[in-house]
Amino acid sequence: MEKIRIVIVDDSAFSIAFIRNILESNGYEVVGEAGSLEEVKSVVKEKRPNLVTMDMTLPGTDGLECTRAIHEIDDGIKVIVISSMMDDEIVANAKKNKVSAYIQKPFDADELIMMITRVMATEELYRYLQKEYFPVFKEALMDGLNKMTKTLLTYKDEYPCSNEQLSEGLSIIIGIIGKFAGRMLIDISKETANNVAAAVFKRDPKSSDEMVAALSEFANIIAGNACSILNRKNKALGLRVAPPSILTGDSVLISAPSFTTMTAVAESSLGGFLLNVGFTKGDAEWMQNA
Amino acid sequence: MDAKCVNPFIDSFTTVMPQLGFCDIKLGKLCAKTNEVSGSGVIIVLGLVGDVRGNVVYMMETESAKKIASTMMMGMPVEEFDEMAGSAVSELTNMLTANAATCFSNIGIKIDISTPTMLKGENVKVKMSSDQILCVELIADGIPVEINISFEN
Repeated sequence: MEKIRIVIVDDSAFSIAFIRNILESNGYEVVGEAGSLEEVKSVVKEKRPNLVTMDMTLPGTDGLECTRAIHEIDDGIKVIVISSMMDDEIVANAKKNKVSAYIQKPFDADELIMMITRVMATEELYRYLQKEYFPVFKEALMDGLNKMTKTLLTYKDEYPCSNEQLSEGLSIIIGIIGKFAGRMLIDISKETANNVAAAVFKRDPKSSDEMVAALSEFANIIAGNACSILNRKNKALGLRVAPPSILTGDSVLISAPSFTTMTAVAESSLGGFLLNVGFTKGDAEWMQNA
Repeated sequence: MDAKCVNPFIDSFTTVMPQLGFCDIKLGKLCAKTNEVSGSGVIIVLGLVGDVRGNVVYMMETESAKKIASTMMMGMPVEEFDEMAGSAVSELTNMLTANAATCFSNIGIKIDISTPTMLKGENVKVKMSSDQILCVELIADGIPVEINISFEN
């Protein structure tokens, strides 16, 4: 594996030497140092590190302004704050500025190394989930529909969803929780909903409650199966599903969340399906040592 | 499921809203419903998983959602409930639910929360898996927000 490349931001020569020594003796590559906002910008632009350790008090700037500057250059660069100051307000501000971890001085080598390992592992795991999850959910919907209603599903299109979407009539929402949080949404027309319920029961549903119960179970199985498959592929994901909520209404608009979700559109003899799934990194990678 | 499940949400609302610029927090109606809630405007659903499984559904009129977004954005006027306003209100429900989860953990119940899903519409009905939904209305600076909580038995 390639060495993880790190830039140290601190205004104290002692701190830099101390951190550099820990990093280098643990197999990390220190590719640069900076002590001011200008230095941070130029060294990050030139070296493109994987990770930056960040002091909070710096002459003429602070650790969070520098963090924002780093993320303007490349928002994939992880920042770990190392500071003697730590209270709820500073921590909240650090989270808001997309800092990945917070270490209070004094700290020992093991603490820093553990934080770096975990931050980089989280990043890797999230990238893995982003790559894997959508085909698994598509397969689970196709498989679930086939097993529960003996109906074939054909996917017509798929795209990253960034706009709000008009509901066809009925939306099933299942929250997903684990190492990363997310949600699955299935949107269908009321007619399709009725057809699915009728196919599950092998007769027309007796009431709208019965139809909803069938669809809840249907969605629950799809989300549950997809998450189990993902958990089997990588145990660290630990995904679990919340119970389904079913929404119906007049001209309902489904908002696009602030993170990227994937949408697939599919057809079957029971009607059309829209599947939308996404996960956010959120606070999942937040770490602090006290 | 009993009324103690509502307290963490009330505590969370009374803690979080003042941090966002709301001064006057009041407790409105408190009621139990069977498995369906309905309303118009902005509806936000979050899943809960942990020692208990369930959902929390926030409901507010579009006008209320605009006022809340405006206060959250330092009083910036919100004419339309656009993407920016939606993102603010969505984030609010995330904060409120995360804070309630912390309150639950203080009484020994561990709960994790999913991402919020936001929908807008008229005459929206939400069905949840539990046959009992506790509904609490909380009012921030005269703006009512309805919080519906359902836990599986």
